[in-house]
Amino acid sequence: MTAQDALKPYIDDIYTCNRTRCGFCREECPVYRVEGYETYSCRGKMLVARGLLEGTLQPDEEMARMADECLLCGYCAARCALHNVEIITALRETLAEAGFRAPKHQANAAQILAEGYLFPRTSAIRREGTTPLYLGCLYQSKPAEVNTVLSVLEKAGFDPLIADEVCCGYVVEATGDSEGFARAQERFRQVYAPYADQEILTLCPTCTITLRDKYGLRVKPAIVAVAERLGDLRLEPVAMTATYHDPCHLGRMLGVFEEPRQIIRALGINLVEMEHNRTFSTCCGGGGGVTAVNPKLSAEIAKNRIRDALAVGAETVITVCPTCTPTLLRGAGRLANEVDKFVDVLDLWQLLDKALGA
Amino acid sequence: MSTDTYIQRAFEDLQPIFGERVTVSPMHRMAYSRDWSPRHRSAQDLPDLVVIPHNTDEVVQLVQVALRYNLPVVPFAGGTGMGGGVAAWRGGIMVETKGLNQILELDLQNLSVTVGAGITIWTLNEHLARHNLWFPHQPESKRACTIGACIGCDNDSTFGIRYGKILENLTNLVLVTGRGEAIRLGRRKASFTSTGYKLMELVVGSEGTLGVVTEATLRVFPLPQTRQVRGYLLRSLNEGAKALERLLAAGLAIDSAHMNDRERLHFYTHSYREKYHREPQVPDWAQAILFISWAGDPDVVDFSMDKTTRILQEEYGAEMVREQEMVDGWWDSKHRLEFIPFKQKWPDSQRVKKFGAADLGLPIGRLDEAYARFREIAAKWHQDILGMTVYNEAPNKSTASISFAVFVDDSTEENIRNFYEYVREMSQMAVELEGTMSSYIGDGDRLGGFNILEHGPSLEYMRQVKALFDPAGIMNPGKKFETRWLR
Repeated sequence: MTAQDALKPYIDDIYTCNRTRCGFCREECPVYRVEGYETYSCRGKMLVARGLLEGTLQPDEEMARMADECLLCGYCAARCALHNVEIITALRETLAEAGFRAPKHQANAAQILAEGYLFPRTSAIRREGTTPLYLGCLYQSKPAEVNTVLSVLEKAGFDPLIADEVCCGYVVEATGDSEGFARAQERFRQVYAPYADQEILTLCPTCTITLRDKYGLRVKPAIVAVAERLGDLRLEPVAMTATYHDPCHLGRMLGVFEEPRQIIRALGINLVEMEHNRTFSTCCGGGGGVTAVNPKLSAEIAKNRIRDALAVGAETVITVCPTCTPTLLRGAGRLANEVDKFVDVLDLWQLLDKALGA
Repeated sequence: MSTDTYIQRAFEDLQPIFGERVTVSPMHRMAYSRDWSPRHRSAQDLPDLVVIPHNTDEVVQLVQVALRYNLPVVPFAGGTGMGGGVAAWRGGIMVETKGLNQILELDLQNLSVTVGAGITIWTLNEHLARHNLWFPHQPESKRACTIGACIGCDNDSTFGIRYGKILENLTNLVLVTGRGEAIRLGRRKASFTSTGYKLMELVVGSEGTLGVVTEATLRVFPLPQTRQVRGYLLRSLNEGAKALERLLAAGLAIDSAHMNDRERLHFYTHSYREKYHREPQVPDWAQAILFISWAGDPDVVDFSMDKTTRILQEEYGAEMVREQEMVDGWWDSKHRLEFIPFKQKWPDSQRVKKFGAADLGLPIGRLDEAYARFREIAAKWHQDILGMTVYNEAPNKSTASISFAVFVDDSTEENIRNFYEYVREMSQMAVELEGTMSSYIGDGDRLGGFNILEHGPSLEYMRQVKALFDPAGIMNPGKKFETRWLR
């Protein structure tokens, strides 16, 4: 296998972008907004990809850094009609094959492949029940947040079953290790086989899309399941003006836009929309493993998203993703030092639990 | 000293000023290696350095460094030009102007905005909309195209028939000349002046050959309450141009007017058929489709639409397009840039062959003649015809800024040469028909030098203007006065 093999299936798309150059993907790309070089936008990367395919560019560390600083958020894909995210993932794989893979990414993938999960945890969270609920690595490392979710689900009449689980492998694939991902898939299939025929409730949008697209499982974001029972719930009103940040995988890629908004409105919150919302929402800065390789860039992107909220007069940002919440909170904290105004970031589960009472 | 040494020294001089905003990295240079113009699919023009200035002072400093080492300076904006205007043909310093993207002043009392030249039309309009205002110079590339690019290329606009092009809405600009000096040109916030020479106007369409535009002051307008778009089928292109003049003479305020030939019309009917699985009702006699929009208060728009329809039907035997979905679809994709997510139209339309055009400006009575010759010339040079679109780009008159569009096979150099032979012959035709060789793309690396045909001895005066602003000849060299393609 040559380094460029991963890109070859996309040759047609790459030349199509090179000859089109419409640039519709560029202006709101969160990474380009911070970095300023066209290279960081999708159309810039497509020229780099062509350079690699034609041999006019050679893989190097700088190029790998550039590819690793993509959020894989899919904004460019929504503005286009090509396989943008897949091509950038293939670009990462090409660079990894050539020996240029961020040590942090390598370590994360190694951790997942060795242990079956990404983050250290004291003990695996489990619950007896009837409806499978897949937590994913992030929630497995956050027992307090899981208790909040379980509290909401129980009050909504669900009986969640948290079984033995292992990482879905998204991080391994997204950071350019397709071979490692195949191994992660095999292990996941073995462990999660008993639930392959059931509808699985999920919490992390990234795991959700991986379970759906890479394993063919029947998944439903748990927040959607709660929204479906909204009429049966008695909610204490919450007085605030807030905006909703659409997580990239939950919104743009899974198409879940209205259910979280229905819940927010049902809570009596004055919901204001940011300029970029729903399909064209912009990433919080936590996607694609960027936080691992360049936390400063991730924080700058998060600050920009908080600026978007400030621009429409929101005092709080509500979201529903275990990556978006802490990333935006970091951005809000740092921006507060610059603009002397703190925009709070709240998780929708937390708000719901409070509103549902004891 | 070798060129490589000059480049290295320039980089060393620029680094203390720009830090990470200057690079010689091959990867970054590659990302600035081409625009939207037809060329071989593997073509690339690599600059030697890329720099991202954030203000006028930084541009002054970088031009001074370029002068020190005699390096070309090429301003890069949206990168969507169709004439190779940003091709770093001779290498040099690529100036990424989109770092100059600030709104410097919004003057609500005078309906004026001053911006960094690197702001995109789209972003500017997002800001203005919060104040119920808009900037009406809107090329179809407005999501990527910047104010500086509009000034540099003098490109086209959807709303030209009411608001004109960039020049009608530009009152002032700051230019960093090839002398490494920043000068303020124009008339501040006034819409006209009778004093001095109109140097600001010289910069419009100068394609970065006189300097780098860093700031612009623009006239903005209240957002209209509503807009309606309709399509009319006509018996000939000339008839369409005459009918439009009649509508204006009737006192109608038209917001946009664009006319397409039969090929383009078939393109739209084909899309309609594919999407709705119904046969559109287009009579055999229809040779052109004229799309018109009106904007303003709802009752005025409704009246204007009715009056337009009556005039076109009764006096010109025209028919209104019955399939309004076809008209709305055209407007949404071409002028509002509203696409179904993940299904934007451009990439798929360029998958096999690439869009290319000769962009002639012609007198309005010669459209049918030009159409017939377009078909002959395209066939002669083996170009696959996409069609002809007549854009109206001057306020309150029927005009003809025409895209004679073809699909270019970019897989061989020979095909690319044939495309430029087509452009050459079309350009000759434009001069014969008492028009101009380019009405919205500019010279780029296509027409320069060849345009002695159009400008004759006045080209020498243009050279002297260039020498005044750019005595060392470092500003976007090769453009305007040389061509890579036409002989």
